[in-house]
Amino acid sequence: MFANFLIGLREGLEASLVVTILVAYLVKSGRRDLLPQIWLGIGTAVVVSLGFGALLTFGPQGLTFEAQEAIGGSLSIVAVGLITWMILWMGRTAKNMKADLHHKLDDAIAAGRWAVAVMALLAVGREGLETTLFLWAGAQATGQTVQPLVGALLGLAVAIVLALAVYRGALRLNLRSFFAWTGAFLVVVAAGVLSYGVHDLQEAGILPGLHSLAFDVSAQIPPTSWYGTVLKGVFNFSPATTWLELVVWWAYLLPVGFIFVRAAWFGPSRGRAPQPATPASLEGN
Amino acid sequence: MTRNRASRTATRTAALALGAVVAAPLLAGCVPNDPASSEAGGDGPVTLSVSSTADACDVSAAEAPSGNVVFSVKNDGDEVTEFYLLAEDGLRIVSEVENIGPGLTRDLVVVAKPGSYVTACKPGMVGDGIRADFTVTDSGADTAPTGELADQVDAAAVNYVAYVKDQTEQLLTGTEDFVAAYTDGDDDTARDLYAPVRLHWERIEPVAESFGDLDPSMDLREADLEAGQEWTGWHLLEKDLWAPEPADNGGEKYTPLTTAERADYAERLLSDTQELYDRTHAAEFADTIDAAAIGNGAKGLLDEVATGKVTGEEEIWSHTDLWDFQANVDGAKVGYDGLRDVVLAKDEALAGDLDERFETLQGLLDQYQEGDGFVAYTELTPDQVKELAAAVDALSEPLSQLTAAVVL
Ligand SMILES: [Cu+2]
Repeated sequence: MFANFLIGLREGLEASLVVTILVAYLVKSGRRDLLPQIWLGIGTAVVVSLGFGALLTFGPQGLTFEAQEAIGGSLSIVAVGLITWMILWMGRTAKNMKADLHHKLDDAIAAGRWAVAVMALLAVGREGLETTLFLWAGAQATGQTVQPLVGALLGLAVAIVLALAVYRGALRLNLRSFFAWTGAFLVVVAAGVLSYGVHDLQEAGILPGLHSLAFDVSAQIPPTSWYGTVLKGVFNFSPATTWLELVVWWAYLLPVGFIFVRAAWFGPSRGRAPQPATPASLEGN
Repeated sequence: MTRNRASRTATRTAALALGAVVAAPLLAGCVPNDPASSEAGGDGPVTLSVSSTADACDVSAAEAPSGNVVFSVKNDGDEVTEFYLLAEDGLRIVSEVENIGPGLTRDLVVVAKPGSYVTACKPGMVGDGIRADFTVTDSGADTAPTGELADQVDAAAVNYVAYVKDQTEQLLTGTEDFVAAYTDGDDDTARDLYAPVRLHWERIEPVAESFGDLDPSMDLREADLEAGQEWTGWHLLEKDLWAPEPADNGGEKYTPLTTAERADYAERLLSDTQELYDRTHAAEFADTIDAAAIGNGAKGLLDEVATGKVTGEEEIWSHTDLWDFQANVDGAKVGYDGLRDVVLAKDEALAGDLDERFETLQGLLDQYQEGDGFVAYTELTPDQVKELAAAVDALSEPLSQLTAAVVL
């Protein structure tokens, strides 16, 4: 029961934290009108995941393991792209707090309104397929016992409660702190998502190096412990990490973190127009 | 405003990319979920039960026939567990199910090829897991017709791609060992490894040839060298390992490669092999494999036999031609087997012909088996060579009709 609870908690945290910040960010910036798009993204992800899970469990065709991992890994990497876009945007916004914030906010959100929906879709869909496969297996097993399913659902519920707590905490921050802190948090989360996406692709045999471990602290941080679960759920931390995962983690965290921190904390020009030196946003040219 | 437009473009691009990454593996990555229903008159899928506990991983049988195999994995322990089917090397994941909570059962469905595997349960999701050997025996016809010919052709392509990937993987592992022995100057080991490692190359040679640059770099014979062309690859090392007498070397004394040269050429062979591995494992590779490619590849392999192996020209220094011979025939047979149901449906007589002639040729080859391998080509009498050549020709003829029969 407890083990199944932890699975639900972990998958729930993985799926909900990014969404939480996304929602908080729209609420803080007075764009509640865009919330339906988030719910649409989440709803689509849930429906698609449940449908796929049912299809793969009961339907005539299942996905090969490689395809499952390839989808999971690719979705993670696309999700990181979108989260990065949001983080960098937050970095610039935090710097320009005193300027006509709302105008800029509207601009960016208008451009990214579908990006916002897609981000919600990915944040939930990324873990959704695996979670629903697990839940359907539980549903199939309920003939024997209901407990595994109840355990997993409780875990999901606790994850949602935790995400709500994070949301309330975030709302209490002033706008500048909100952008600075949630952005920094997202940088670390995104690095973990990227690194885990790489791991999925390694398992699928698409990327090499699955067996070259940089470190293995499974003994100190068992993946089945509650703290292992929370670390995995929040930061996608894997106690047995390959070199490629580690390199990718740092290769993402250092530059993105640097750009973000410089823009959000040490921005030179509060109240003035963005400097040309501001790191290029990901829209490209 | 450019920013907005650019953002929208970025978003749309992301959505497209998302569609592509999801769709591609979906199309290529299907396994039958309930093989029982797709089996036409067969005896259904093999379902094995697996019980995973804290200190045991009980698989109900250590063997299954090739085709659809279902592992029904029950977590009888109290920690979350995972179940893996690993390749023979115990490293590559063939398939897995993760996140099996206590009390739950999850199915792992695989289309298993004949061979050796390793099963592993990982209670607590740590370490290498509780492992056991697992064998998939050859069931002969492992994919019964399921209706649409097109589906069968698609399935053949998917299976053939998997076969090529598997062979390049074994080739890479084997080449690593071979190269290590060769650069260390352990010539005995290198000679022992030469033929068995090359098997994996010879089985999929037409695929390697489809990458124009790799084949000459890896498999060029000295006799085929053109002026100004640098000689690299397997046969260069072959000559160095089986250094010829001056009489066989155009009257000149053979100069062995220096340690540095050995390291250079070995490194090059290994990096070419890695390149072959990478290209065949790239997503685009699967797009190049269709029924025609398989059929032509099978024919190409038989041509290889006729022009190189049956004449003893391929392995002129090591005389391991019969190994290559067998490997070419293996590769052709795998290609044909994948398409056999289609051939049966469209041209039953051709299928009968091919079955018979493959069998005759294999029967002849079996006579020259020695241990795990074959006698040296030089031990064959002219009559025996003639007999082999005749069997190859007899197979070549109907095999050349394979592609047309399947595609048209
Ligand atoms: Cu399909």
